[in-house]
Amino acid sequence: MKLNQLILFLFVATFCLNVNAQDFKLGKVSVAELQEKSHAKDPAAVAAILFKKGEVRFEYVEDKGFEIITVVQTRIKIYKKEGYDWANQSVRYYLANNGEEKIYFKDAVTYNLVGDKIEKTKLKNDGEFDEQINKYWGRKKITMPNVKEGSVIEFEYTIKSPRFSELIDWSFQSSVPVNYSEFRTYIPEYFVYTPNQKGYVFPKVASEKNKRTIVRNSKERASGYVGNTTFSQDKTDYQETMTTYLAENLPAMKEEAYVNNIDNYTSSISHELSMTRFPKSSIELYSTDWPSVTKKIYENDDFGAELNKTGYFEDDINRLLTGLKTPYEKIDAIYNYVKTNLKWNDYYGYSCNDGVKKAYKDKTGNIAEINLMLTAMLRYSGLTANPVLVSTRSNGIALFPNRTAFNYVIAAVETPKGMMLLDASDKFSTPNVLPFRALNWMGRLIRKDGTSDVVDLMPKVNSNSTVMMNYSIDERGAVTGKLRQQQTDYNAMTFRRKVDNIIEDSYLEKLENENRKIEVTSYSRQNEKDLKLPVMETYSFTGSNLCEIIGDKIYISPMLFLAGTKNPFQQEVREYPVDYGFPFTEKNTVNIQIPDGYTIEKIPDPAVITMQDDLGSFTFITNVLGNQIQISIINQINTAIIPSEYYSMLKNYYQGMLDKQNEKIILTKV
Amino acid sequence: MKIRILLLTVFVGITFSLKAQKNEYSILLISDSLKVNANAVVRLNQIDIVISSQRNMTISTKRVITVLNEKGLSAIDAVENYNKKTTVKDIEAYVYDGLGNEVRKIKRKDFKDQSAVGSSTLFSDSRYVYLDYTPTQYPFTVVYESKLETSNTAFIPQWYPVSNFFVSVEKSVLNVDCPVNLGFKKMEFNFENFNIQKINDTPTQLSYTASNILAQKQEDYSPVFSFVLPKVMMALELFHLEDVDGSAKTWKEFGQWYSDEILSGTTVLSEETKAKMRTLVGEEKDPIIKAKLIYNYVQQKSRYVSIQVGIGGWKPMYANDVDRLGYGDCKALTNYTKALLEAVGVPSYNTILYGDSYKKDIESEFVSMQGNHMILAIPNGNKYTWLECTSQDDPFGYQGTFTDDRNVLVIKPEGGEIVRTKLYEDRDNTQLSSGTYSLSKEGDLLGEITIISEGSQYNQKAMLENLQPTEKEAHYKKYWSNISNLKINKTAFSNDKENVRLTERTEISAVNYGNISGGKMMFALNAYNQYTGTVKRIRNRKNPFEIQRGFTDVDEITIVLPHEFAIEFLPNNYELKSKFGAYKTEFIKKDNGSILYKRSLFINKGMYSNTEYDEYRVFIEQVSRNDNAKTILTKI
Repeated sequence: MKLNQLILFLFVATFCLNVNAQDFKLGKVSVAELQEKSHAKDPAAVAAILFKKGEVRFEYVEDKGFEIITVVQTRIKIYKKEGYDWANQSVRYYLANNGEEKIYFKDAVTYNLVGDKIEKTKLKNDGEFDEQINKYWGRKKITMPNVKEGSVIEFEYTIKSPRFSELIDWSFQSSVPVNYSEFRTYIPEYFVYTPNQKGYVFPKVASEKNKRTIVRNSKERASGYVGNTTFSQDKTDYQETMTTYLAENLPAMKEEAYVNNIDNYTSSISHELSMTRFPKSSIELYSTDWPSVTKKIYENDDFGAELNKTGYFEDDINRLLTGLKTPYEKIDAIYNYVKTNLKWNDYYGYSCNDGVKKAYKDKTGNIAEINLMLTAMLRYSGLTANPVLVSTRSNGIALFPNRTAFNYVIAAVETPKGMMLLDASDKFSTPNVLPFRALNWMGRLIRKDGTSDVVDLMPKVNSNSTVMMNYSIDERGAVTGKLRQQQTDYNAMTFRRKVDNIIEDSYLEKLENENRKIEVTSYSRQNEKDLKLPVMETYSFTGSNLCEIIGDKIYISPMLFLAGTKNPFQQEVREYPVDYGFPFTEKNTVNIQIPDGYTIEKIPDPAVITMQDDLGSFTFITNVLGNQIQISIINQINTAIIPSEYYSMLKNYYQGMLDKQNEKIILTKV
Repeated sequence: MKIRILLLTVFVGITFSLKAQKNEYSILLISDSLKVNANAVVRLNQIDIVISSQRNMTISTKRVITVLNEKGLSAIDAVENYNKKTTVKDIEAYVYDGLGNEVRKIKRKDFKDQSAVGSSTLFSDSRYVYLDYTPTQYPFTVVYESKLETSNTAFIPQWYPVSNFFVSVEKSVLNVDCPVNLGFKKMEFNFENFNIQKINDTPTQLSYTASNILAQKQEDYSPVFSFVLPKVMMALELFHLEDVDGSAKTWKEFGQWYSDEILSGTTVLSEETKAKMRTLVGEEKDPIIKAKLIYNYVQQKSRYVSIQVGIGGWKPMYANDVDRLGYGDCKALTNYTKALLEAVGVPSYNTILYGDSYKKDIESEFVSMQGNHMILAIPNGNKYTWLECTSQDDPFGYQGTFTDDRNVLVIKPEGGEIVRTKLYEDRDNTQLSSGTYSLSKEGDLLGEITIISEGSQYNQKAMLENLQPTEKEAHYKKYWSNISNLKINKTAFSNDKENVRLTERTEISAVNYGNISGGKMMFALNAYNQYTGTVKRIRNRKNPFEIQRGFTDVDEITIVLPHEFAIEFLPNNYELKSKFGAYKTEFIKKDNGSILYKRSLFINKGMYSNTEYDEYRVFIEQVSRNDNAKTILTKI
């Protein structure tokens, strides 16, 4: 029976080897690989990863316990000069005392074809560099010798780490094609990791269990006797699971416009520790599902305990709340109090660094300190408020339950009109208008008892931009007019940030230059500082090159400088969703006074373009009253994220809208 | 009892105010004129440089900055670089609120320490310490003090009393002390129009005080900072660099020192490599043709990797190491090429300069350590041929826009010499476009075009052929952003490195290029080359403006019109001439119903006054308006 199994195994193994014509062992570079001029499936690729193999093992070291050994072997083909950067490699490692990692490179070789012979150039010490980035992190770098177009490079590195909380992240894909990518883990039964896969390409998975043994030598000296030492050997058997993830022929990842974060779509696998179960000690759970991840975070001293502190602010908040009755008054007062009194120090994190008390005293803190304090104050005022864990855009979408899935926290407070989301770290943020960085699909709300729930972070209310423009044209084609623009929510936030501390002259120069060199006068701005109200700007303008006079006709596109000029979607196909961050409405009302002695020969026809599933709509309505033309133009996108299957519809929508916006009115001399 | 408490309170109160209040830092003391256009005010920036010997210099800084808003934070500039030869002796900062009350003290250990390896550098042994402070309110004032000690007296920092835009200066002070025998010297630039007083100027002492300098606005097309704002360069005739003493009164001496002390012994190669080079050039006698063969060899063999170690990044890697490893930085690759040329009997010289697309000279009147880049000079008759050794693609002797037309220091064994690099004349920076397009009765465009770029325009186009398909597409969609619905059907390139000429052949199509409404079709005849560089309106421009490189564009395009339409309106021929250049368009109706469109645009390089800026803007506006002139066709 056993023999049969062995034969079967061997058979499978040989079979596999035959299938893969290339040899995935370091040192076995073939002439064919060196001769290859371009990648078979992606001829434009500057380089390709011919294979990449990673192996994670747990080794028992006497006196130290387990240690994670990660070995990564890579072979890269460089096709073009633009791919030379692939000859420089770096690996980051942790170097602080409480979990110092060791890393070394070996077998780093460059292969070139000289005539029909393979020339090997080994990496020596002078091509290896060790950089201490800061107190916590270091970086080992290598730069391969003798690299030319056509070279193949190979290298191996090993990381020894005492940090069990996660295994290295393994990306199957890269910015160049990957022919073969294999990741293998050997995990003892004492550790349980949750593997999290993402991306569009799924690796094949296979696993098998093996027996391993730990041998511990102990030396004991019996007390009372001199020189009498006994040696004993202690053997422990345990089971180890080998799991292999294999993916082949992966296309290169390409950046596209309006992509949230390309890492969200790259095929990769990460492993997070979910449980340890050592013999003779109780099982320790880490994270297996969202509720337990959340609970674990909540029980962390830097989170739950900080949230429950109130003493440091009570006096100030009592004073602040005097006379306030409605929940809205209280929320408003507390939110603004935290916003004005605490400044964000640019550090993310859902756990406090120096603690809320110190942050309160120093008037500065990280995200957790600011928003947990906000939550605590809201609770103290008698409202139902809870923290909501968030993953920022730069951190990627929180797809899998683990503690690193989140890196941010905001506050949610219940009001008679529903839940309100607050982030006091940003001076332009308002209730339910979170900073852009925090707009990343779903968050996780944690209640006082440790239970939790999903919260949709994406804005549901359209951010508006409403423009009212009146202008007249004279017979020389000069345009004189007035414009008023009102913006709400995200549009207002973006505007306020853009004009913050910008000298008005500089802003006006920009306004003039971005709007076909109009000249702006009588500029005023309302509600710039009053965040609760829509922000408004009003100005008069004149423009000398806004219309064209051809013969006895005047051609003018009615929206003047407000018309879009370029379709933001230029690609023919798109892989990833289009992420606007928030839904929006742009409403423009234009009143045009035509010059005396001219008649309207033609105005654009009214039009309506709607997208399937109510994703958006464009309307263009015209009306003529004597020598006045009135036009109302509305562009509305009703959802923050548009899936890629709608891409061609969206692209056509934009083209149709732009064509309409740029259609001309024709005026003829009577 | 009560009295005692009262006394105690008073006492505490006094110490508090003694310790913490610095009324001199109150923002109330800043004059209004200094707040105009300012994001921060330099209350005091005092730099004391003490050179105690040829091998020792300390630089003490005391900087008091009132930051008015977030945009002014960079004016604090609380960062110091250090390396093996430069140590940060002291560094600390105090923060005061608007009224001058002390809010925070930041000691050395609270400064962050970071490696200075950026994304473009592979490795460097320099590091920096910096202040990481989150302001809790505006305005506030930071008092920053630091002291550096270094043995590298070859680099005395330049003095910029105004070092940021939108920052005003109440007072900026420089004091230098130096022993009499080291040959301390200085050179002043752009002092006129600024209130700077020279307090002391003896062989051993130099001091200036600049006061009440209003915040400067940044303006497009301005010459760089160092051309318009005051600056002082300083240096020693007897200096020290990374364990090497130096002495130089003239560029000749400086070059000699550099050659003897830094470069000597770095060009040794193995006999094998030398023999290989001799085989490579064969019987060739012409040094320039030999150099061309060698340069090509270097381009195939090496790649650029930035490694800043050894003599402050000033000593090149040994040529035989580069030979073995196949990589190096600008100095290493230049030196390597020089060594290979030596092997075939072609003399060449390391050349120090500022590599930058903004033309920046080595200050020829001031002998000192300058520059940030190295290229190779090969004598060619009474001129030089310049080689950029970090590039694997540049044509032999081509300087592009990174090293052209500027003063550089050529290091010869017999000494240094200031030389000017090649100027690419405005007339030679050409782009010639020729092609056709046709319009269908639906207004759809189908066209092909050949664009030939030379001179400095070659530089912008040469990388095109190596781009990824998506990047190429993005380039053309940007270049022809005036054509909506643009589709690139085919692209082909030929790169004639011998004549430094890039030819692009492109086939495109675009639906609805002609805008049809009411039986009329409207479109801009000039589909292929609309001038897109906008010149901004600038209110009350103060700075002169500069066009660093001129160019010449010539277009000749045949437009085939749809049979179903007749020409209703064709723009008039147009000609415009000014000191900035010349522009001309011609529309010629052909017998077969097509139109020949001819266009030329010539821009002069030059330095112009602030008042001429608006004329230039109007000139460009005329160009872009005429580029966009519409033609109207009527349905027959």
